[in-house]
Amino acid sequence: MSTISQAIGFNLIVISPTLVLLATALILLFCTITIETSDFVKKSITFGGILLTIFSVFLKFGLFATDGVSSYFTEKILLDEFSLFGNVLISLILLFNFSSIWNTSTELKDKRTEAIILTLMSASGFMLMVDSESFMMLFIGLEIGSISLYALAGINRGDLLSNEAALKYFLLGSLASCVLVYGVALIYISLSISGFYDSAIAIPYIGAENVPLTTFIGFLFVIVGLLFKVAAAPFQSWAPDVYHGSPTGYVGYMASVAKVASFLVIGRLCMVSLRYVMDNFELFFLAVVIISIFVGSFFATIQADMKRLIAYSGVIQSGFILSGIVSGVNGTSASLFYLTAYTIQLIGIFTIFTIISGKLSSDFSIENLSGLFVENKFLTICFSIFMLGLAGIPLTSGFISKFILITNLWSYENYVLVFILMLSTVAGFYFYLRPIWVAAIDKPEAPVEQIALKRSEVLSLSVLAFATIFFGLLPDSLINLSRWVIQNYL
Amino acid sequence: MSILIYTLMLFPLLGSLVIFMMPKTRSELFRPIAIFLSIIPFGLCLYLFSNSKSKGSFVDIHTIDWIKSYGISLTFGISGMSLLLLFLTAILMLLSFLSVSEKYSQSKGFIGSILVLHFAVNGVFLSGDLLSLFIFFEALLIPMYFLMGIWGGENRRYATIKFIIYTVFGSVFIFIGTVYAGVISYGVTGRLALDFTTLSSLSFTSEQSRILFLMFTFGFLIKVPIFPLHTWLPDAHVEAPTAGSILLAGVLLKVGAYGILRVSIPFFTEGFLEYKFIIAVLSVIGIIYGAIVAIAQIDIKRLIAYSSVSHMGFVMLGISAGNYLSLEGAIIQMVNHGLTTGALFMLVGFLYERRHTRRISEFGGIKATMPKYAAIFLFCSFASIGLPGLNGFVGEFMILMGSFATYKVLSGIGAFGVVLAAIYMLWAYQRMFTGEISIKENKELVDLDSKEMISVVPLLVLMLFIGIYPSFIESYVTQDALLISEIIDIFSGRLN
Repeated sequence: MSTISQAIGFNLIVISPTLVLLATALILLFCTITIETSDFVKKSITFGGILLTIFSVFLKFGLFATDGVSSYFTEKILLDEFSLFGNVLISLILLFNFSSIWNTSTELKDKRTEAIILTLMSASGFMLMVDSESFMMLFIGLEIGSISLYALAGINRGDLLSNEAALKYFLLGSLASCVLVYGVALIYISLSISGFYDSAIAIPYIGAENVPLTTFIGFLFVIVGLLFKVAAAPFQSWAPDVYHGSPTGYVGYMASVAKVASFLVIGRLCMVSLRYVMDNFELFFLAVVIISIFVGSFFATIQADMKRLIAYSGVIQSGFILSGIVSGVNGTSASLFYLTAYTIQLIGIFTIFTIISGKLSSDFSIENLSGLFVENKFLTICFSIFMLGLAGIPLTSGFISKFILITNLWSYENYVLVFILMLSTVAGFYFYLRPIWVAAIDKPEAPVEQIALKRSEVLSLSVLAFATIFFGLLPDSLINLSRWVIQNYL
Repeated sequence: MSILIYTLMLFPLLGSLVIFMMPKTRSELFRPIAIFLSIIPFGLCLYLFSNSKSKGSFVDIHTIDWIKSYGISLTFGISGMSLLLLFLTAILMLLSFLSVSEKYSQSKGFIGSILVLHFAVNGVFLSGDLLSLFIFFEALLIPMYFLMGIWGGENRRYATIKFIIYTVFGSVFIFIGTVYAGVISYGVTGRLALDFTTLSSLSFTSEQSRILFLMFTFGFLIKVPIFPLHTWLPDAHVEAPTAGSILLAGVLLKVGAYGILRVSIPFFTEGFLEYKFIIAVLSVIGIIYGAIVAIAQIDIKRLIAYSSVSHMGFVMLGISAGNYLSLEGAIIQMVNHGLTTGALFMLVGFLYERRHTRRISEFGGIKATMPKYAAIFLFCSFASIGLPGLNGFVGEFMILMGSFATYKVLSGIGAFGVVLAAIYMLWAYQRMFTGEISIKENKELVDLDSKEMISVVPLLVLMLFIGIYPSFIESYVTQDALLISEIIDIFSGRLN
């Protein structure tokens, strides 16, 4: 038995984050359908599950220290720096979104546990996605994650916007998955390769010029499927509507987790699989980046709804991150830094939105922010920090991430890209400072009530705001981490 | 001495933290504490004046390792030019705290923002590498955004956004320039070394030098501002609260000219030699245009704002002429303009608090009710025009003398700016202060009280002091001006 398990690379620790999340979800499901359990018990189970996930990520680090980069389960599951980085980020996203997700779910009455279960399921799916070595596992992970997100978008059944969001997300998302799985099939029939490292070996072996066009089209389709998940233009059309329609409390999680997982997979594709044939995709990526920057900047300036604004700002940020990933190894490390800093700000902003608006409501117009300074000074300060971080003001992590990204792009001689990216930050100052104006400067017309904060919200917001400032002042630790991820490909 | 530099830079930041931490109920304490907090940087500047080391050109350099994996470090140091500007900042901060009305002095945010602004400005003048210069240059915007946004006038939203967008658009180019210089320096030294010592040792090709010069100078020129890029300035000045206008005119405009003197010219000299004529032409257009537009203004604050365009044109003319005399004149004129325009904005602020209008036609004959105010206003007007014996004369005379050697026609045209200055300042004085009082409210105006006198008189003393004893201030700019002019001479000699 042991020899067989060794031969196929059976190792539960590698998939332990996924397993723990699944187990937690199943226990919760069991609690819901059989015995009456109080909210406190369920909350403890969920929170315990998340903590256990973080612990199991640590176990994976231990495994990595002994095994190094290696694959398991007959080359289905991969343990490398990208997957570890992804595991850490996804579990932290789950942890920091816990308070908004839980508080939103308690307002759902009879479906409260379902929402939590869906969240945990999607997290386990995305964990599997960043862990995957074979493209089929990638597809399975992506689908487990995405289908839960579709359901999560539409969980507020009474709300028309929420229904619209779910349907739109589902239809477009499944189209993207179709494209992705078709791409996987094309890669397989043309070169009989089905994994990241397979391609990394096969392509240089037969020589880049002998790779059939079908394989390239296949890879292009896989990339398109992933770009859809990160909402890079021209595949962004779902993002504003889905962010707008979904219950506010879940959007922070939905937006960040899919982005992190997909970008890490794109990063691995570019770093590992397509390393020697990146030139063939250069034009495509350049077009995606430039269109993302233009579409995002243009539409973000005219939004009156904050969630839509953040969605379009996400399109711009996707352009920034993608520009680093496709430009080379050091660019990828800069992009990973950028991705982390952006995720922190994104979660922070949506936590604040969740606190301000009704947690289940969809609309969040910019006027909802007015009088925030009177309502709660702490929230205003945190909100300003996150928005300034997105704008890239010095002394926040946003500045450092832009600085190292632009430096790397310039050293790769992508001059045009640098100018386009930087000019978009001018537009960024316009639409990122406007909400701060409304929140901190404008006097509210109607009398406003104070907002009382829960302790967990204060804690997670303080940590996120502190991280934004900390990585702006002392970015060394995160930069070293992001360089560690790509160290093998230097 | 290093500890002094860090104290000078970080003290205002600590001060702002103290203010933000204070309970709201003790709002009467905010002003005394703020005054105390800004006396210390002021005293430090005075102490540094006595230190002969500070006359040098960028001495006393300290380096902090910042991002080790990229080899980025932050460098700080001081020079005679920075010291003068630091002193200007410190005194304007102190006096604007003294002069602000109750409405502002009881607001935590207002006092705190000004202190943060002080921190950022000190950071710009003390930074010894491109990255920290850029960081502080950009960080200036945040306190300014809140100062103008929360405490500004009617049309503040438009003015603030315009100010921010203009400056950010410029700073994007500074940012790309910094990155470009960093990548070049990486190729030579193996790390992203951006400190001034390394930069001066790098030999840029003439193409690199030209591109870098254009990028940095464009960003800084928006801040100066030079003629076609100046349109944010009148709006920002008019809408900002009095203290904001004082600091904007007195300090923030200097940041742009300082950047050109500290970065653009010494490191990218070939670019400077290539484009200096264009800058000179634009400066002269700015001198004349600003003055003519100022004549036509009906709002006294707007008039002073346009006079700033004209005066900063002189500074830029001196810089673009690029010889020792004109550079020295330009640096001195930077300080002069800060003192004079700061005082004028303060005076306008006092009047606005009494009458809640700034239209020149709303006044007339108020010399009778406010004799002290009228006298001080006339004094500042003369300083602004450049009457011999006052500070304005020293700077403008040196600039015109110096630039005449390089650009005979241009400086001849620029000299008319002085005549036009006399027209707009004295005509405004005549309309506001002389004649019969025709409007009822003006009969009940109260003259300056002791608090207001204390806040404006030090500036008058300094104007007179610089006017009759310019060699004191000159001794601090000599080194910097000499160094920059020598670099320019070496490069122009190499090219010919």
